[in-house]
Amino acid sequence: MLRWIARGLSGGRVTTRYPRGGEPVPDGFRGRVDVLDAVGAEAELESVCPTGAISVGSSGGVSLDRGRCILCGECVRAAPGRFAFQARYETATRTRAGLIVPERDGDGDPPRRALGEAAAALRRSIHVRHIDCGSDGCEEWEIQALWNPYYDIQRLGFFLTAYPRHADVLLVTGGVTRPMRRPLERTWQVMPEPKALVAVGTDACSGGLAGESELVAGGVDRVLPVDVYVPGSPPSPIAIMHGLLLAVGLLAAGARAT
Amino acid sequence: MTGVATVARRVSEGLPEHLGAVPEPGPDPEVRLRVTTLGFERAAHVLRRAGARLITMLLAEAPEPSLMAAFALRGALVVLRAPTDGADPVTYGALSQTWPAARWAEQELVERFGVRPVGFSPGRSLTAADADLIERSVHGLDVFAIPYGPVRSGVFEAIQFQVQTGGESVLSLQTRLGFKHRGLERRFAGLPPERAVHVAERVAGIASVAYASAFSQAVERALGIEPTLDAQRWRVLYAELERMAAHLDVIAKEAETAALHVGQARFQILKERVTRLRARLTGSRFARGVIVPGGVRLQGGIGLDELLRSLDALEGDLAADRRLFVGTASMTDRLVGAGRLSRALVEEYCAVGPVARGSGVATDARHERPYGDYRRLGLQVVTERAGDAMARIEVRFGELFESLRILRQCVDHLRGHEGELATPLPRDGTGAAFGWAEAPQGELVIWVQVRDGLVDRVHVASPSLRNWALFDHAFPADVLTDFAFIEHSFGLTPSGADR
Repeated sequence: MLRWIARGLSGGRVTTRYPRGGEPVPDGFRGRVDVLDAVGAEAELESVCPTGAISVGSSGGVSLDRGRCILCGECVRAAPGRFAFQARYETATRTRAGLIVPERDGDGDPPRRALGEAAAALRRSIHVRHIDCGSDGCEEWEIQALWNPYYDIQRLGFFLTAYPRHADVLLVTGGVTRPMRRPLERTWQVMPEPKALVAVGTDACSGGLAGESELVAGGVDRVLPVDVYVPGSPPSPIAIMHGLLLAVGLLAAGARAT
Repeated sequence: MTGVATVARRVSEGLPEHLGAVPEPGPDPEVRLRVTTLGFERAAHVLRRAGARLITMLLAEAPEPSLMAAFALRGALVVLRAPTDGADPVTYGALSQTWPAARWAEQELVERFGVRPVGFSPGRSLTAADADLIERSVHGLDVFAIPYGPVRSGVFEAIQFQVQTGGESVLSLQTRLGFKHRGLERRFAGLPPERAVHVAERVAGIASVAYASAFSQAVERALGIEPTLDAQRWRVLYAELERMAAHLDVIAKEAETAALHVGQARFQILKERVTRLRARLTGSRFARGVIVPGGVRLQGGIGLDELLRSLDALEGDLAADRRLFVGTASMTDRLVGAGRLSRALVEEYCAVGPVARGSGVATDARHERPYGDYRRLGLQVVTERAGDAMARIEVRFGELFESLRILRQCVDHLRGHEGELATPLPRDGTGAAFGWAEAPQGELVIWVQVRDGLVDRVHVASPSLRNWALFDHAFPADVLTDFAFIEHSFGLTPSGADR
């Protein structure tokens, strides 16, 4: 056992300083897609996207729904002047409409539940529960990574719990398959107030490529109210951490996606 | 390939004449045989006696509606095809009457396509799971059933295990799949192959590279094109990094289950380092969006010298952490002897991947039917004999070092590369073929049918589905507290099995 301890000390500190400090993003990282030029597009541009995330208005205005975007890059290749990948981690928003870029007026944050104040009273001890409702398995890896030495979200007061009755935050992955609908509803129901629900990944935000069918509901908000959306296919651990901090009010409302 | 030609001849000669098996052309090393639905079961059993391993069964539409089964036999992929001649429902003699490996393949044929195998007794659903349905197979005083899942106690994918126990020992176990059935195979239809590959990557995300490679290879074989050498090397490079991440994940989870906290942290650190290397090479932590039918798309990337330095550092740390892991009795005591699978059972169920290799079955798609650059790389297949959880972990340790060796070879070969990385696909190509890859979980096989340049139909034979059939039998002398160790030692993913 002593040898393990010596081994553990040998590597030095690897933990990120996020959110107090920044976390460097590798060049070329496909964190999210930005719209560079939102005017004068043809309607055919919509068909470039396999998940229907791009809409073109009657006057040629382009908008991109990051809640549907799977970061495949089809639009960036088809129209490099209009769309570009951004090497950014943070993607979370508090509203579904907030995921649509360029932002429109009046999409401000909704009134918050009381979890933020409660979190302060709890001295920032937040218990997190996860439920998979039809993910592709990536999101689980990225959520698990939050508790590895690189991200160590426990230093911010987040603990993983197996019991929904102990949980303050529910992380949901997947677009909600038919057999998972009831287990999801029951898990949420037994969680005590105040509580928050975070949809993790594009599948949880909109159904992603699995879409909406008789097999998949097409997003968690079709079943339960969502407090924070973290799009990405999958979102990186920092993106999920950002979403969790938003959910418990530990980040100012304006701090989204900086 | 003379080996494949020999298999083709022997199979045709070995089949009784009255079955009327007719050889059909197919891309090497596929050996395609047309039989009748009446002779289908007999033909499959002739193949079984010859040592064939059942891979999957499906219903295809081209060149005509047909029942199909694929087998691995000595370097060949033997495909039996029986035209259904408009029969509704399609009937044939069920293979699973005597061959347990066909059990879930036939369950899928029944559930998804309404096929009626004669003599098949329907089992639990693979597409419509019910979390509240408890089924008992053992009855007696003080025997109770515990449903584990589909909401798991940790961050895991949705699956349910129904365990019946008298208190400590596992009397019976039922694996329940289908909680994550998303109908993804239908999602491929109508898409051009370059776009359909995004769906392939999302069948089982932790094996995105394997799925994208197997799908792309199937398209390439169906349309008769060959990616450039450099493209094949990049695919190998991405695939081996993916294998490393998955194997390190399994080992970290075993350490976590044994409450070996420093060990857990060490292997999580190694996994994160591999993941970050993948992100720097491809712009995606799961190497998504880089493999396309025809070749690879390079995005981002780092210098080969830097990559080599990272691999050297990984190898040194991995060797030190492995020594500590196998030298910690509180860790290995939980794995040695747990979840023992006999070689005979593994062969009967046609299991694949580290599960099979841990029981002494040297099956590995990279070696059996070498694809891409694996044809030029000398691969050492790692096997263990004990068949327990420790053996499956030892196989993964061995494969981690083997991956590092292959990665170095790839880097050497890639020096001074230039030229096209993706070969364009013919615009209105038509064809059908199997493609495969050795995913970290085992052999993955994908059937793709392309018509007029668009994907028409896809069938996925995931390693997870085939190995989970065996999981029910992995508790011959084990107790409840062994459960998590044995589950992690299988290292499977429900998303791949459920699709």
